[in-house]
Amino acid sequence: MIKTIICEGLEIEYPIFQGGMAWIANAELAAAVSNAGGLGIIAGMNSNAEQLKAEIRKTKEMTSKPFGVNVMLMSPFADEVARTVIEEGVKVLTTGAGSPSKYMPTWLAAGIKIIPVVPSTAIARKMERDGAFAVVAEGGESGGHVGELTTMALVPQVCDVVNIPVIAAGGIADGRGVAAAFSLGAVGVQLGTRFITAKECNVHRNYKDRVLNARDIDTVLTGKRLGHPVRSLKNRFTRNYLEKEYDSSISNEELEKLGLGVLRRAAIEGDIVEGCVIAGQIASMVKKEQTCREIIVELFEEAEKVMRGNLQWVK
Amino acid sequence: MVFKKVMGMIAELKGEEDDTITSETALLDLNLDSLDIAELIMNIEDEYSINVDDRESIKTVGDVVNFIESKIN
Repeated sequence: MIKTIICEGLEIEYPIFQGGMAWIANAELAAAVSNAGGLGIIAGMNSNAEQLKAEIRKTKEMTSKPFGVNVMLMSPFADEVARTVIEEGVKVLTTGAGSPSKYMPTWLAAGIKIIPVVPSTAIARKMERDGAFAVVAEGGESGGHVGELTTMALVPQVCDVVNIPVIAAGGIADGRGVAAAFSLGAVGVQLGTRFITAKECNVHRNYKDRVLNARDIDTVLTGKRLGHPVRSLKNRFTRNYLEKEYDSSISNEELEKLGLGVLRRAAIEGDIVEGCVIAGQIASMVKKEQTCREIIVELFEEAEKVMRGNLQWVK
Repeated sequence: MVFKKVMGMIAELKGEEDDTITSETALLDLNLDSLDIAELIMNIEDEYSINVDDRESIKTVGDVVNFIESKIN
């Protein structure tokens, strides 16, 4: 059995978070992960206060266990969402796509545990100084918006500069990845792609199948030119986008437009040709549909075996 | 004094002196990415033992200098 300080701190059975994937991490998935012993996380994405409130209440009806909300700071509704999470009594927040510093004093006053996703050591230190409970060090292997550093490089460097718990994310699909994360100094893991194919995840069937059929070389980065690269699975959308990205006659505004609504198109409408099928580099390691409980139990049983097995090399 | 120090920090991040930078230069025009800017803010916090809690009103190098001066005076 693997128990870390993050289990105690968040009152969860297993030290695992489910990533707050936009259009995918809804009440059903978050509740299922929390009921399975991990920390389910609702994607705040571009939801307004009313939409998020409904999702939080739905989650509460489905689980009595702790769950979190991911606040997407670039959202036009970030200010109202920042208030909603307090009003609805959310206990844990992860944040992404910007600095949560301006909201942190009020969140802390409300007793919320804040766990920002960080792409560098400087930002990790800043978050610790501002009162973060922990940080998620997310490497560029992950799906969606990514930073430059890989999990292998980022996690130990973040662990070296902060005294708060570090959760590793990006490139983790199985127990080997979990064990590797612990070896790098993390005390918990966050997985996204592995939960896309969870039985309780109601992303469009086509999206699930695309992940299940992914190959190792299938992910690609788009949007580097705009300064916020996104990792997704290769398809007509990414090919078309990349062609335009390297075409200097296309303006940045036109490029921005190309990326609007494409994730919804894939995740909700099931258009995996013209939509953006976000997944991490380990998508090809996700081969089966399981319940969240099966996924989590399997991950940690495997991790335990790997960690014990590694001792054979210690003479 | 503060201006000179901030210029030194920027030069350190860029790996070179850039004499085109003035107090009117926007942070976004420093040719640094968002991670470098975060590093700059942390270095400033460390150097002056202050908390840069109002990032939104800081747009230019001059704003950075004014912010620091308002905090340390």
